[in-house]
Amino acid sequence: MMRMPVTAVLRKVSRVPAVNNARICAFSSAAPEKVEVFIDDKPVMVEPGTTVLQAAALAGVEIPRFCYHERLSIAGNCRMCLVEVEKSLKPVASCAMPVMKGMRVKTNSEFTRKAREGVMEFLLVNHPLDCPICDQGGECDLQDQSMTFGSDRSRFTDINFSGKRAVEDKNVGPLIKTIMTRCIHCTRCIRFASEVAGVDDFGTTGRGQDMQVGTYVEKMLMSEMSGNIIDLCPVGALTSKPYAFMARPWETRKTESIDVLDAIGSNIVVSTRTGEVLRVIPRQNDDVNEEWISDKSRFAVDGLKRQRLTVPLLKNSSGQLEQVEWEDALVRVAQALRSGKGNQVGAIAGGLVDAEALTALKDVLNRLDSELLCTEEIFPLDGSGTDLRSNYLLNSKIAGIEEADMVLLIGTNPRFEAPLLNTRLRKSWINNDLKVAMIGPKVDLTYEYEHLGDSPNVIDAVINGKDAFSKTLNSAKKPIIIVGSTALQRSDAAVILSKIQKLSSSLRAKGQIPSDWRVLNVLHRVASQVAALDIGYSAGAQKIRDAKPKVLFMLGADEGVISRSDLAKDCFVIYQGHHGDRGAEIADAVLPGAAYTEKQATYVNTEGRSQQTTSAVNPPGMAREDWKIIRALSEIMGITLPYDDLHEIRKRMNEISPNLTRYGDAEDANYFAQATELGNLINKPADSSPFNVPMKQLEDFYMTDAISRASPTMAKCIQAVKKQRESKY
Amino acid sequence: MSFLGLDKVGKLFTIIRANGGVLKSLRKLYIYDDLKLGTLVGTDKYGNKYFENNEYFYGRNRWVEYNEKVGIDYDGSMIPAEWYGWMHYKTDMPPTKSPPVAYKWLEPHRENLSGTPEQYVPYTTTPPKIQSWVPPKPKK
Amino acid sequence: MACSGGGSSKVIKSVARQVKPILSLDKADARRRVVNLYKAWYRQMPYVVLEYDIPKNVEQCRQKLREEFDKNRHIKDIRVIDMLVIKGQMELKETVEIWKQKSHIMSYFKETVEPKPQGFLSKFLAGHE
Repeated sequence: MMRMPVTAVLRKVSRVPAVNNARICAFSSAAPEKVEVFIDDKPVMVEPGTTVLQAAALAGVEIPRFCYHERLSIAGNCRMCLVEVEKSLKPVASCAMPVMKGMRVKTNSEFTRKAREGVMEFLLVNHPLDCPICDQGGECDLQDQSMTFGSDRSRFTDINFSGKRAVEDKNVGPLIKTIMTRCIHCTRCIRFASEVAGVDDFGTTGRGQDMQVGTYVEKMLMSEMSGNIIDLCPVGALTSKPYAFMARPWETRKTESIDVLDAIGSNIVVSTRTGEVLRVIPRQNDDVNEEWISDKSRFAVDGLKRQRLTVPLLKNSSGQLEQVEWEDALVRVAQALRSGKGNQVGAIAGGLVDAEALTALKDVLNRLDSELLCTEEIFPLDGSGTDLRSNYLLNSKIAGIEEADMVLLIGTNPRFEAPLLNTRLRKSWINNDLKVAMIGPKVDLTYEYEHLGDSPNVIDAVINGKDAFSKTLNSAKKPIIIVGSTALQRSDAAVILSKIQKLSSSLRAKGQIPSDWRVLNVLHRVASQVAALDIGYSAGAQKIRDAKPKVLFMLGADEGVISRSDLAKDCFVIYQGHHGDRGAEIADAVLPGAAYTEKQATYVNTEGRSQQTTSAVNPPGMAREDWKIIRALSEIMGITLPYDDLHEIRKRMNEISPNLTRYGDAEDANYFAQATELGNLINKPADSSPFNVPMKQLEDFYMTDAISRASPTMAKCIQAVKKQRESKY
Repeated sequence: MSFLGLDKVGKLFTIIRANGGVLKSLRKLYIYDDLKLGTLVGTDKYGNKYFENNEYFYGRNRWVEYNEKVGIDYDGSMIPAEWYGWMHYKTDMPPTKSPPVAYKWLEPHRENLSGTPEQYVPYTTTPPKIQSWVPPKPKK
Repeated sequence: MACSGGGSSKVIKSVARQVKPILSLDKADARRRVVNLYKAWYRQMPYVVLEYDIPKNVEQCRQKLREEFDKNRHIKDIRVIDMLVIKGQMELKETVEIWKQKSHIMSYFKETVEPKPQGFLSKFLAGHE
């Protein structure tokens, strides 16, 4: 639905150039000559097809706007961006007007100002004067722009309170609060829902004074990206329900950080006040998350206030965990770790652990002559396994999807495993005719794709050219194969991975792919996995099950991969982490660590891009930063680790793998050919059982880790989605 | 008599006699720092005795002798509500003459417990910002 | 300063001699001043206890006085001693004239401040950087 008109527009890009300029210009074949326009008598050279508003931005003039948003299509219905164009009788909506040669735009003339003032007056006629109780207050575009561009006096004389428009509020789920009377009909939310989120639920009804934005019938907005319409809304019509009446933006402290609830590593801003995380909003990073974040990243932060480990705990003689002092806990844990020799001491790391803690833990265990360090997430170790970095990264990068013309998804549901990757796929599907195919369970990805089957045998068929799809794949210039880490949790993961390696190198052998184009991609689900593999943890807990260690150190391992029955009877289990979840339940000693908003720590996302979180609040109670706990433990054990501060441990990380401390960069990994050759050594038949993904539907998306499991908002979301499924709409 | 002040001596003996002898008078003097003569107006259910003698000037003409059990450990808040009005000259009618209405919602009188283990201590009513995990009870 | 050292070289001696004395010319002189200050304080103590109404008795105050003087027992430099004597006199003046308040006197009796944690482990246990 979305796609046809836009692609049609794309083909006629020269004739109707008013659509989404720069990106489209990049796809139109010949680079046309630049045209000169004058913004306030200042000459600017711009590409043809640029809008007046964008040309003004290039000249350093910001034109007020409500409906225009650079990542959405152009609506041109708020009329706030009116400017005077010489030789034009009427003011022109600059967001929708393409530039013409020699155009002279006046952005600050008397005529322009009067036009803006008029538009603002009309907007305010039907906008309630409830700024004092409005959650948007302080970050409201309407507030700011009426101060700058509005009239300084009112002609509103309805003292009998008879005429102001009032609209009933809509219930669109537990995340978004609607106060529809405040709506100015910019339609940003409608465009976001249908273009980016791929949920065509929002729309307008009525016209003129009676126009309303809503969902036609009362319906929850069933999207994993729905929270972004809160940021998009220029007024207070759509606000955050969990954050309602919590704080004003000028009272909060903003800390730029990284989200760790999926492997994408979205850039976020954490708003805090009085040592409490109030909300999370996205931060722009075009390489990773553009300016969106998923609902889990945005709303699961209230899980950081529940079920927290705030004091060290030790099991007493009756088997009950009891609060103890740090000294006691450390001494007991150090004794236990000392009692094991070599591989009798094991460690398993969970999905939310930072690279600093992983480094420190590995250093401690290696000093105890143990190499038994695992991650919860499985990755095949046969063949080249995790030795070659290219094997386990999303090599084409998230932004690289926009260059691709063919994507094959294997055993993954990117919509819920990595929502921001999915929005990229959808964006390319809309804008550049990306073809998507899928081997795995049939799920709703919000865009059309070719479903090839759900069995691993389909991969063979594609390699051998038996499948009809292999022709399309072979003809692709820039194909991408994304294999989900979900698909590699099976026992025959090594075979599957080697097949996919074979497929990607056979595609490369066709010779029409640029030499620097990377075909094979792995999409991880948890934030710590890439860093753990970089540092040298072995993926999967099978080694621990085999070794049955006497002491097990669980670093944030909450997925229940290892249970008591996998371990020796007298095994001493140490849990270090920030939430009381499955890990802490089976532990003999619990050391309280810090969550991602409470520490400055390194995380490497699925692309291999290392980014750092910053500490927005202090760890609660007696909790400490994770690597410091391990460092303190090492001192008590008498094997003091040689780093005392963050700088020094990062130096150590740099020794292990330099990419860990090159923040913001995603370094390319190579050796695909070697990986394929090593992969060929595996000669086991693949299991023909179909691929399965744990997150098939929206309700599976919300609770996937210790933080989101503790979050009451996420629990409400699941209930609301289930309720919505039962309703007839 | 009055010229020589001998009537005062006679009064002293009267007071001592009314208070039950020398020893008892000394005890009262020790407890209340005062020894008075007056008519018993009434006794409340806690055993406090209320006296009146209008020969003393206004403000000293009504007084209470607390239950002997409390000794010197007495406190003004031991006077129950019904006697409070008479003691503080809000009314001249003691509850013996006009008993208060016994509403069923009336709570029994409690003295001020400050300084005792049962005293009221203010406590925070704001919920904690961070809820700690409570370890589950071990399975048997 | 070097002048206290017995067998120091002539150069140092000559340099030391050139340094202008504050009050005292030699060690005995400095000692006399210190003892005088101590006596003055000692005699003042009953009045301090009375006038400032502090919850200490004269004995305790004199003990504290001795402690305060003993703190600087190791100082050998005459100029430093003189400076401390001058400071002590200023303190005394402030005390006698009641320019101080009760809390200023009581701050002499402050319990020892715990030193900030040093080293990684004690910082970790104390819970701050």
